[in-house]
Amino acid sequence: MEFFNAFLVSLQAVWNDSGFSAFTAGNGIMILVGLVLLYLAIVKEFEPLLLGPIAFGCILANFPRTGFLDEMGLMMAIHYGIANEIFPPLIFLGIGAMTDFGPLLARPSTLLLGAAAQFGVFVSLAGAMMLGFNVQEAAAIGIIGGADGPTAIYLSIKLAPHLLGAIAVAAYSYMSLVPLIQPPVMKLLTSQKEREIQMEELRPITRFERVVFPIVTTIFISLLLPPIAALLGCLMLGNLFRESGVMDRLSDTAQNALCNMVTIFLATGTGMTMSAESFLVKETLLIICLGLVAFIGGTAAGLILGKVMCRATGWKVNPLIGSAGVSAVPMAARVSQIVGMKARPGNFLLMHAMGPNVAGVIGTAVAAGTMLAMLK
Amino acid sequence: MGHPVTTNPFIIMTINMTVVFIVLMALMVLIKAIHALDPTKEKEEPKQAAPAPVAVAPPPPVEQVKEEGIPGEVIAAIAAAVTACGYSAGEIRAIRPIERNGWKVSGRSFTNNRLA
Repeated sequence: MEFFNAFLVSLQAVWNDSGFSAFTAGNGIMILVGLVLLYLAIVKEFEPLLLGPIAFGCILANFPRTGFLDEMGLMMAIHYGIANEIFPPLIFLGIGAMTDFGPLLARPSTLLLGAAAQFGVFVSLAGAMMLGFNVQEAAAIGIIGGADGPTAIYLSIKLAPHLLGAIAVAAYSYMSLVPLIQPPVMKLLTSQKEREIQMEELRPITRFERVVFPIVTTIFISLLLPPIAALLGCLMLGNLFRESGVMDRLSDTAQNALCNMVTIFLATGTGMTMSAESFLVKETLLIICLGLVAFIGGTAAGLILGKVMCRATGWKVNPLIGSAGVSAVPMAARVSQIVGMKARPGNFLLMHAMGPNVAGVIGTAVAAGTMLAMLK
Repeated sequence: MGHPVTTNPFIIMTINMTVVFIVLMALMVLIKAIHALDPTKEKEEPKQAAPAPVAVAPPPPVEQVKEEGIPGEVIAAIAAAVTACGYSAGEIRAIRPIERNGWKVSGRSFTNNRLA
């Protein structure tokens, strides 16, 4: 009998300490959300490198009593890297090392398309404020329209850390859905004749231009907008590794090993912010809707300026490249290419669209820096 | 967190879009200035221009080199492969089948060996 009682007490103690006893319906829903995201990542291949670890982090975050954020360990270290803005600049270092600014240097006027596409950020900001979010939260939500994950995370941490999970998931989900969201807007706002425009070949870029550009840009923008010096500085440092031709080992590490490692930490850590109590709120649904508005607004604004440039240059600019101004490198540029090819087989817009695409990355960082200066 | 400068979304939008456009336009000017001040520009541009006359100088390749029995697609594929290796199409003097059947024989024996 004594043995039986001891067995029961032990069993009850194990049960009380287990996650099952504290498991809530909210945890169950969030684990299901994580599984759906995993399905999208693995089966549908929607940004699998990001959605995969985000989804797994989401599942991990919804196990009760793990104590991940109570005592120092790997999970707390990852959280520290996110909360203290360490990972987004490191991701930008890798992105810079992977980015070819050549198309932008060959046709600098495409910077304007990258600027115009930021309009979606502010449409969404206004919408968020109308729905009751405060100005800092609205700015963090609006930056989803920039289609730039690290910048969205960076700004959310600074202005609305409690919304980080929803903002990151919305940003990365929409980035992966660019091929579905953009084409209808592109077809709606452009005529067949405009889509068929073939653009002139880009001029060759010298090594001098490629090396000087990241240095000059860092000096200029960091002096003007110090809050984004870490982000933009890392982007340009990575690009300098690539273009200098004498730092190949650093470029290789930044592009591959470092970028992959930081992606694992950043994405898993972002998923870890998706606990039931912080994610299962009506604000999450609003953020996801506002993110879509931001994306569509940014795409439309880029296309409209593209149409203006088309007329101003005597039909030499295909307006489809304007939609690539929403960042989402290189997905948005690929969408411009695909829609252009459908309108006229043999119409190669990819390299032309890479100009506004990388301009969008700089534009989103500048918009984030301006909002930090105004609102923090 | 300090106080925001304004909470009016229209003002935030106007100021931000203005700043974004001004910064990116300034960057546009900087890119043009870098191109204008580029000391390597003069040296590299003639180099890129140089291959053009070379390509023009040789006789039109296709008409002269085409032998009876070689399909146009084969000539195009060979020319593409040669240009992919860094030569100009104009440098191709002739495309003709070799007298010996060594490659064909060797290919056949290789295939037979793999199947055996």
